[in-house]
Amino acid sequence: MSENGVTLALDRVSKKFDEFVAVDELSLEVRAGRIFGLIGPNGAGKTTTIRMIVNILAPDTGRIELFGEQMSERLQDRIGYLPEERGLYKKMRVGDQLRYFGELKGLTAREADTRLDRWLERLKLSEWKNHRTDELSKGMQQKIQFITTVMHDPDLLILDEVFSGLDPVNAELMKDVLLELKAERRTIIFSTHMMSQAEQLCDDICLINHSRKVLEGSLREVKSGFGRRAVALRVEGGDGVLADKQLVTSVKSYGDYVEVVLAERADAQELLRRLVESGAHVTRFEQVEPSLHDIFLQQVGEGA
Amino acid sequence: MKKLLVIIRREYLGRLRTKGFVISSVLGPLLMIGFTVVPGLLISMQTGEATKVAVVDLTGKMYEGVRESILTNRDGEGGEDGGRKNKPPPTAAAPDREAQMSQVSKALGAHYEVEQVSPGGRPLEEIKGELNTRVRKGELGVYVVLPEKILEEGRAEYYGRNVSDPITTSQLRHSLNRAVVEQRLREANIDQNRVRELSKEIELETTKVSEGGLERDTGGGFGVAMFVGLFIYMAILMYGQLILSSVVEEKTTRVAEVLFSSVKPFHLMLGKLLGVSLVAITQYVIWAVAFGAFALYGVGMLASRGMDVPLPSLPLSFAVYALLFFVLGFLMYATIYMLVAAMVTTEKEAGQMALPVIFLSVVSIYLAFPVIRNPNSSFAFWVSIAPFFSPITMLVRIVTEQPPFWQIALSLGVGLASVGLLVWVAARIYRVGMLMYGKSASLPEVVRWLRQT
Repeated sequence: MSENGVTLALDRVSKKFDEFVAVDELSLEVRAGRIFGLIGPNGAGKTTTIRMIVNILAPDTGRIELFGEQMSERLQDRIGYLPEERGLYKKMRVGDQLRYFGELKGLTAREADTRLDRWLERLKLSEWKNHRTDELSKGMQQKIQFITTVMHDPDLLILDEVFSGLDPVNAELMKDVLLELKAERRTIIFSTHMMSQAEQLCDDICLINHSRKVLEGSLREVKSGFGRRAVALRVEGGDGVLADKQLVTSVKSYGDYVEVVLAERADAQELLRRLVESGAHVTRFEQVEPSLHDIFLQQVGEGA
Repeated sequence: MKKLLVIIRREYLGRLRTKGFVISSVLGPLLMIGFTVVPGLLISMQTGEATKVAVVDLTGKMYEGVRESILTNRDGEGGEDGGRKNKPPPTAAAPDREAQMSQVSKALGAHYEVEQVSPGGRPLEEIKGELNTRVRKGELGVYVVLPEKILEEGRAEYYGRNVSDPITTSQLRHSLNRAVVEQRLREANIDQNRVRELSKEIELETTKVSEGGLERDTGGGFGVAMFVGLFIYMAILMYGQLILSSVVEEKTTRVAEVLFSSVKPFHLMLGKLLGVSLVAITQYVIWAVAFGAFALYGVGMLASRGMDVPLPSLPLSFAVYALLFFVLGFLMYATIYMLVAAMVTTEKEAGQMALPVIFLSVVSIYLAFPVIRNPNSSFAFWVSIAPFFSPITMLVRIVTEQPPFWQIALSLGVGLASVGLLVWVAARIYRVGMLMYGKSASLPEVVRWLRQT
């Protein structure tokens, strides 16, 4: 880890393919020991950004620093990359396959053997070691792919849609492993479309859209930046108050409660006072944070 | 560097262990031996049983001679059969076909039983009718009729179920021929031993004049050059296809993306190229050893049974050149296959794109023919220098005429340079192409990739 705790820094990085700008002046910092969510709609430039981070593509302009050093081939061994599209040799045996990928990350065959045994055990796949990869289910292959990503003890993990194809049990297992890795002060970059997953796991967020960064910060900052504009409410009566456009922009009904979005300059306390004054019976009044999902929709929707 | 070795090892050992490799390693030499030996075996199989020959002697004096001649069946030895070759040199370029046939049949135990059918005053037609019935029943293989004027007119009649069996007809013709000639000589009171001595044929000893001096050569070199040429062609087809499908696999399964995050694309490409080349060379060596063993033991064994398989004598340097040009040709075509594979997205497309490459290799096989006929022409020179054609055509020249060393060196040099250039081009296309999904690259796109740094 570098001194200031920054694992990865992108400084005004751009990449063009012919006339198409895939990534435009992107700067971001990923801090050590945290899970960093790189989110954005399809075609926003996530994959290109990741490919530049893992040194598959070189940026046209800008600078990528990993562990305080200029990106280089040698540093590739300290990264583990799980691409969105899985890549395994179908006809190779699981054990041979893992050993090969381990060796390509600089492990000796013996080291690779010990570690792959440990990981197969950890992910409950030991009995599949001598099977051909194409005999495994999608979810199992997914776990094998994950082992290729972590078996060389990388300091930086880049996981693109790591939960796809996993059933709830395995997804939970995977989440545990990720949190364990985080506890070992490894840095994880986590890319996904599933906002609920990002919300559960990520410490920091970067939202990119149309090749540019739209939002960045810790999950907390990002959410508070969107203000506490909504209130979850369970109430009897007070319809007149909720109809006041000065106070309330919209009311969405969710079964046994409603979600009220406050108007521009309205205050939640004001709403509560008016409701009580009107004689309504309030059984639930809670200021809610916008979900990452809402933020995503709002930001991406605006940009489009 | 260490990672390159890891890649080479996987490509090499992984393929060595496949069923395909084992099968083709075993099958290759078997086919090779099969093509040289089996036809002879098959033809002679029909004569495994003694063929019954009936002789209708209308002259009344020929039967003993004919019987003797058929049973001893040592054609050509006497030399009385005027004009026939005396003793064909065993390694002649085009050994007398009939002599070879009889050798084959002799080696495999073709023999005859001879019986006399005396006319006994009966009309010929009646005898023939009787014999025809026996032939139809299979009691009799063939029968020959020796007319009264056989000595003057030199005609005899041959009847049999199968008149297109080359071995039996030619042997009987030989035997009759010899018996008739002997009879004529006897009636003319000429000493047969004297005739044998005087009519001894000459033998043509062929010697090749080459750079290295004079070498005895029996002319079988052609065959070997074509054989090696075809072998290179086969290896290119087989292993080119292998490269094609394994690169496309890495692309479609997206393994390439994972690998690229660990190693340089160039190393991956080079590792595959070298690994597969080593497999091809291994197979080549296995085949060469099998062929060598066959040449040493197999031919010896067949020869001891009287069967002669012409083996060309080739200098050791040819083996070295053959290996060099094999590797060179293989690398040239393999790199192109690599390049094609990086441009396409499915194996089907790859097959179509590979057609021009296959065409190129077929052309070089065809070019070998004019080169054989005139290995010293300037056409042969240029063709044997040109990349893609040189591996086969230069080998043909080396066997037939042994061109000056500088020409061989030039051919190797040009070949190496083109391999270098091709690898450079392929590396650039590979690097970009392997990460392009969804559609095959167009030519302008590929040109753009080449210019990218």
